[in-house]
Amino acid sequence: MRNEPLYRLLAALLLLVSIAPIGVAAWWLGFAHGESPCVLCWQQRTAMTLVALCCAFILRFGPRPRYVGLALLISAHGIYMGVRHSALHWARDVGQGFAGEFFGAHTYTWSAFIFWVFVVAIGLLLMAMRDGAATAEPRDPGPLGRLAIVVFLFAVAGNVAQAFTSTGPPPYMGQSDPVRFSFDPKTWIWSLEEWEPAAISLRGRYAFASPSIDGLDADPARGPLRGLARVAAGSRTRIAAGLDGTPADFARDPASGRFAVVTGRHQVAVLDADLARIEHSARLDPGYSVDLGRGLVGVAWVDATTLVALTESKSFATLAEVERGDAAKNWRHFLAGGERFEERARGRFATVRARMNHVAALAFDPARPSLLTASVPNARHRRLVVSRFERSDMTLAEEFLPALGPGLALAGEARSLDEYFVTGLAIADGRLHALSAAFSTLLEIDLATREVVAARGLDGLSRPVGLALRDDAWLVLQEDGAVVAFPR
Amino acid sequence: MEFLNFVLIFVTGVLVLRRPDKEALAFRLLLFCAALTVFLFFVGSRTSVLPPFNY
Repeated sequence: MRNEPLYRLLAALLLLVSIAPIGVAAWWLGFAHGESPCVLCWQQRTAMTLVALCCAFILRFGPRPRYVGLALLISAHGIYMGVRHSALHWARDVGQGFAGEFFGAHTYTWSAFIFWVFVVAIGLLLMAMRDGAATAEPRDPGPLGRLAIVVFLFAVAGNVAQAFTSTGPPPYMGQSDPVRFSFDPKTWIWSLEEWEPAAISLRGRYAFASPSIDGLDADPARGPLRGLARVAAGSRTRIAAGLDGTPADFARDPASGRFAVVTGRHQVAVLDADLARIEHSARLDPGYSVDLGRGLVGVAWVDATTLVALTESKSFATLAEVERGDAAKNWRHFLAGGERFEERARGRFATVRARMNHVAALAFDPARPSLLTASVPNARHRRLVVSRFERSDMTLAEEFLPALGPGLALAGEARSLDEYFVTGLAIADGRLHALSAAFSTLLEIDLATREVVAARGLDGLSRPVGLALRDDAWLVLQEDGAVVAFPR
Repeated sequence: MEFLNFVLIFVTGVLVLRRPDKEALAFRLLLFCAALTVFLFFVGSRTSVLPPFNY
């Protein structure tokens, strides 16, 4: 293909990009409709303008590698900017976002697509270009090329005017939450807020560690609740030997008295009523279909032969006990064992209030067939949220932040139930029993009123990871495999 | 800062159109504008450099 038609095509593209989005953004959206870009929108718009400017360079000086390369680099950065900016809003409910829309999509979401089109267009033009097309001397851009550059300058002039009114002269810069555009200087906001110190982070609010009971204060007296009743430890026993990994939670089937135990190495084991013998077990393959995280943290019986095992990230696996498992079918689900299990489902519990928190325990409520979790605090998000998921579809049915009931009081104005780190959950008589490894405290939450109606300090605990109920006792599983009974 | 960037882009465009003999200066201005854009986006997004999603 000859190069002159390519130059005319490039000039037409520059003309198009200068009119929309660069010109339309300032002259139409800005001046006619009062729309102001935020600080990130400004950089996306500027990058589009710079790619257009690269086109002008190519029209004037030929397709030198540095111009084409720079246009590609800016476009690549533009795709990143488009994704980074849109990500602030992509997870919102339908239709929510920032400022105006084009064809049902907010303007900032178009950015990544536009830069992608730039990359594709540059690639196609390069493929169509003749070898040795780069010139040593400036060339006449031709009438269409000159028109395109003039229109480009007109579009840029509009942006100069809008940038001055909306962001101000240096060192002022755009704002994260700007107000509408106006020609009235009294309404102009020139801000330095973006220059204010802020920590640089790779993952922002998602940057926090997995939950750990390391370093938690075990003394109930130093907890957020004042004047707790104390319960002394009763009998102690040890869980059966032979588990693969550190115990992470257990649950008791009230009908048979058997226990289910999960470990940090993805093992699910069924033990007899005395915790003395492992009846059977399986080690889940954590990596496929649904990521089961770094280990299991919760387990609950949902009927006499069905278990749900939970990870810290609220992913779960549903296992059914069977007389004889299908070894070929089970191979994909289990790394080891599984002769007496079938995996019925894997999935993920999705929360609203607890989405920025991990969990460390699971309970089943037979009165309203559903599973309950309690969030644990992390370095960025400290909130105790109880979430309920319907057994029928494993979907969120209820969430609440427990309130303090009558007779309970915080130890100070700065204290909060959010300080508790719940590692064990169990349900009986409409009450959720929540064991916190922080401050070794057992909370009783009335599921009807959503209030903490009782709280007790448990003496003599060390790194508790699980809670189960027996008629006569709360049974607490420690990380070292000890099971401590506290009389009820 | 956005105002400065667009002023420089405008000047660069004028050089390309009217003063092709200033190609090297125009390209240096273009590079500066690109770098300034990257820097300003970083300033505006430095609290979460990666898109704020679940990873």
